[in-house]
Amino acid sequence: MNPDRLKISFVMTLRMLLRRHIVLLLLLVIPAIFLGIVSLTTSDRPLPFRLASLEEEPVVSIPEEGIHFVFFAVASVGFLLSFLALNLIQNNRHVTRRLVLCGYSPTELLTSKLAALLVFILLVSTYVGLLTNILYEIDHLWLFIFSLVSIGFVYGCYGLLAGSLIRGELEGILVIVLLVNIDVGWLQNPLFYEGAQNQEVIRYLPAYFPSQASLIAAFTDYGVSHAIGSAYLYGAGFLLLSLLIYYKTMKTYR
Amino acid sequence: MVLRAEHIYKSFGKNQVLRDLFLEVDPGSLCGIVGENGSGKSTLLKILVGEWKPGSGTVQISGRLGYCPQRVTLYPQLSVNEHFSYFGAAYGMTGPEQRNSQAHLLEYFNFGKYLGEKVAHLSGGTAQKLNLSLALLHKPKLLILDEPYSGFDWDTYQRFWGYVSKLREEGCAILVVSHFITEKELFDRIYEMKNGQLQ
Repeated sequence: MNPDRLKISFVMTLRMLLRRHIVLLLLLVIPAIFLGIVSLTTSDRPLPFRLASLEEEPVVSIPEEGIHFVFFAVASVGFLLSFLALNLIQNNRHVTRRLVLCGYSPTELLTSKLAALLVFILLVSTYVGLLTNILYEIDHLWLFIFSLVSIGFVYGCYGLLAGSLIRGELEGILVIVLLVNIDVGWLQNPLFYEGAQNQEVIRYLPAYFPSQASLIAAFTDYGVSHAIGSAYLYGAGFLLLSLLIYYKTMKTYR
Repeated sequence: MVLRAEHIYKSFGKNQVLRDLFLEVDPGSLCGIVGENGSGKSTLLKILVGEWKPGSGTVQISGRLGYCPQRVTLYPQLSVNEHFSYFGAAYGMTGPEQRNSQAHLLEYFNFGKYLGEKVAHLSGGTAQKLNLSLALLHKPKLLILDEPYSGFDWDTYQRFWGYVSKLREEGCAILVVSHFITEKELFDRIYEMKNGQLQ
C-alpha cells in the first residue's frame, strides 16, 4: 500500500461525502426524530430487564423511557452507518473500477473508504451519544459513546460487506434493511430479549454485544470491555470478508 | 510492439465470442477495430485493458496504458482539479509531473476555466474532455479509446485528431474501438471484428 495514494483517496472520499449536504442533514435529523418520538411517546414507569452479556446476568430496573432512548440511539447509529457504508462502496463503482485499471489497488481504495467511514462513525456516535444524554442522563457518557462507536463499526463493516457482495442499489438496501431491522431494530431490545423463547439466537447476532455495552454503560457501573471487545471482533470479521470480496470483484488482469 | 494479443478465446456459456484472436499494434501507429453491435468488440476491449480475464490466450502491453471509456466515468462531486490529482496518484505520478501534464491538457483541450468546477456542474462536452484527458495524463505509450466519437462534441473532436498526430509523433500507439470509424485515411490499419476474430 502506498501512503500517498491512500491519503489522496481518503481525502477525496471524505470530500465527496461532505459535499452531499442532504446526506449530512439527514445524519443530524434522523437520530433527533428517533429520540424525539421516544421522548413524546414513552412512559417513565420502571421496567426490569437482564444484562445478559454479564456473567452474573444482573437484573436492573430502569424507566421505560431510558431503555428506549438507549435502544433507539443504538438503532439509529447502526442504521445510518450501515447505509452510509453501503453507499460508499456502491456509489460510482464504475469510476472506482477505472481508478483500479489506472493503478490503484482495491485494498488501497477499500482502506481509504474505511478510514472515511471511521470519521463518520466517530462523528455520528458522538452526536447521538450527546443527544441521548441531553434527553436522559447517561451514567457513563464516554463509555456509552464508545459503545455506539462499536455498533457503528460492526454495522459499518456489514454495509461494506453488503456493498462488496451486491451490485444493485435496491438489492443492497434490502439486504441492509433485512438484518438491521431484525437485529438492531427489534431483537436487541432488552425488553423483547427478556421474554424471548430462544435467546441463544439473539446472542449470535451482530448487534448483541454493542447493544449490551450501550445498556451497561448507560445504566450501570459494570465493565464494558468484554462486550465492546467482542463487538469489534464481530466487525473485524465482516471487514475481512468484505476486503476479500472487494478485492476479488475489483482486481484486474494485467 | 506495444500491444500483442495472441490466441485469445472468450465464451459466455455456449456463446463463443472470441476465437483464437490475434492482434498486434506497433508504436506510433493508429489502428481501428470496427464491428457490429454484439460482435465482441467490448469483450475484446475489456480483455485488452485488463478488466476481464480471457478464457485462454495472452495479452502483452509494453509501457503505460491509457484507457478512455465510452461513458463519462467521473465522480460527480469532485472537481476537475481533484480528478487530475486522484488519477495522477493512481498512475504513480509525482506532484510536479501531474501538474505539468494537467496544465498542458487543460490548455490544449481549452477547459482550464473549469478547473475548480465539480463534474456535476460541467456540460457533457467538457466532462468528455476531462474523461479523455485523464487517459492522457500520464503520457501513455498505448491509448485505447472506446467509441470515442459518440461522446465528443465538435470542438473536442477536432482537437482530438490534432492531439492524435502529436501523440503518434511521440511514439504513442492508438487503438480506436468503435462500431463505425471516420477519417479512415488517418488509420494505419482498420480491423473488422467478425465471427470472434479480427479480419
